[in-house]
Amino acid sequence: MKRISSLLVANRSEIALRIIRACQGLRIRTILAASEVDRESLPAKIADRVVCIGPPAPTESYLKVGTIIMAAVGTGAEAIHPGYGFLAEQPELPEACAQYGLIFVGPKAEQIRQMGDKISARQMAKNLGIPVIPGSELVQGLPEALAIAEMIGYPVLLKAAAGGGGRGMKIARQPEDMKIIFAEASAEAHAAFGDGRLYLERFIPNARHVEIQIMGDRFGHIVHLGERDCSLQRRYQKMVEEAPSPVLSADLRAEICQAALSLAHQIQYENAGTVEFLLDQDEGRFYFLEMNTRIQVEHPVTEMITGIDLVKEQIQIAAGQPLRFTQEEIHLKGHAIECRINAEYSHRGFQPCPGRITQWNAPQGVGIRLDTHCYPGYFVPPFYDSLLAKLVTWGNNRREAVARMEKVLEDFQVSGVDTTIPFHRFLLKNPNFIQGVIHTRWIEDILLKEYEQPERDHLC
Amino acid sequence: MTSITQDDVLLILKLLDESNFDELHIETEDFKLLARKHGKGKGLEEVVFEDKKSSRAPRIEPTSAESQVPNLSSVKFTESDSRAQVAKQALDHSGATAGLIPIKAPMLGTFYRTPKPGAPPYVEVESWVNEDDPVCIIEVMKLFNTVKAGVRGRIAQICAEQGQMVEFQQTLFLIEKIHEEKDLPKASRA
Repeated sequence: MKRISSLLVANRSEIALRIIRACQGLRIRTILAASEVDRESLPAKIADRVVCIGPPAPTESYLKVGTIIMAAVGTGAEAIHPGYGFLAEQPELPEACAQYGLIFVGPKAEQIRQMGDKISARQMAKNLGIPVIPGSELVQGLPEALAIAEMIGYPVLLKAAAGGGGRGMKIARQPEDMKIIFAEASAEAHAAFGDGRLYLERFIPNARHVEIQIMGDRFGHIVHLGERDCSLQRRYQKMVEEAPSPVLSADLRAEICQAALSLAHQIQYENAGTVEFLLDQDEGRFYFLEMNTRIQVEHPVTEMITGIDLVKEQIQIAAGQPLRFTQEEIHLKGHAIECRINAEYSHRGFQPCPGRITQWNAPQGVGIRLDTHCYPGYFVPPFYDSLLAKLVTWGNNRREAVARMEKVLEDFQVSGVDTTIPFHRFLLKNPNFIQGVIHTRWIEDILLKEYEQPERDHLC
Repeated sequence: MTSITQDDVLLILKLLDESNFDELHIETEDFKLLARKHGKGKGLEEVVFEDKKSSRAPRIEPTSAESQVPNLSSVKFTESDSRAQVAKQALDHSGATAGLIPIKAPMLGTFYRTPKPGAPPYVEVESWVNEDDPVCIIEVMKLFNTVKAGVRGRIAQICAEQGQMVEFQQTLFLIEKIHEEKDLPKASRA
């Protein structure tokens, strides 16, 4: 059987630690590629070896394909795990890996490209009979945008062709908005992705974000591991994720999973991936959004209800092993919920808040999982994203998982930096959240309006 | 509260360096830091760092163009946290404390002492170098980057091995600096 004996982790923070731990379980030697500021981090302490790849700025370190490859070759690593973000969805990395005889833990470069272009992915889904949100191909300019918007009906969503992760999206509510918003969205897309091309979609107001976890091997076996509901977002950034979705009917679930599988089969997808859908709660219909060709931040909720270690599976599949379970052998048990704990000041527009953590009193116990690289005394550097920890609770049902989360959030004490813990405490008490009556814009449109009242109001 | 370590100061300096601000003052009960990007004189920078709790003699850190915060030409450091000093020494490798100037790798890559295979090495131990003399090549995926000495002096030690990977900021050479008046670092205020 094929085996990887050493692996370079091309990432930082909690996901670097997560990958190192998975490797330890597989008795794989780990080498961490760390920027100068991450050289003393927790993953750096736990990895078998640390290689300093450059200064803190990601463009000078974590985003340099050549440097990552050299770090792997120079340390004798056989494989590279990119985690999420940074180089995870850059086809240049798997290409360079192939050139240097390294194993890339992820899909093929070609599959990343096929799904990376959102318009071609949308077309592929359409060809497979998977519903896509009524909208356009590439929009050539403002006059065409206006004509198409008229056809599909306002409000419309302008999206970046090269986009993803919610960046480069804007709503135009009426024709008068279009002129300004079209220019803004194009400029934003250009700044974020180096590609200003846009397309249009009808805006669905009462929507939920539901995504299907996929896993495929190189022998053509592809399975799904159920859905995650990630509707609780702020500015298209996920804040809370849960599995299973509290609103999906059995029939709709089967349909969505089937759609995800057919797309994955179409490109003979290999390794872990996620197919994202939008669920229109008014119409009871779902639409394909995009496919992410990497492990996702919120993968622990799937692990909690399936008992499958996705990162471990990723590594074994990349080594050339077949999937170790069939679709029938995957059983979903109970309910899991994840809160993203970020270093952000939630009362001041979620402004990032780097600095030194002086107190980190993390909860422990049955049904509680905390993925984090933080500890008392850790300095949160200002160069990267603000995710400090993913707090996950499990219960036999949603009520139990939510109750456990509420208790655990009360006990979670962090000082030195501001975190999103107070926001999550507030969210968990909200009756609409408890009943599951929410949509993708609910946090922004409704909850934050109540939350942003001065704090003393809540103390009274 | 833990006291502020040397690493913290380096990080603060880096933040200042990358910011749009020219000057930074931090003062707490037992700590005072004043940093300027463009101080008096010929663009020299000066940093005063004091830990009032410390009664020990001032410790002078080696300074050079290759120091961790590249734009700083004068650093005075008084510090009581021995843990930070140990960490710093480990980073700098042995020679730095013996008055030698390290030439550090500007990037991760493969270290070559020769301009091309079979050619004589750029430098040997005892070679004299000027600031602009090439001392080695670092290869990153077929891209060859020439590293210059950056300082006038004599090569005292070659610290990296031909054909091996070097990390970012790894010490490649130790140089014994020529002690001419103009080369001396500006004396910092007591």
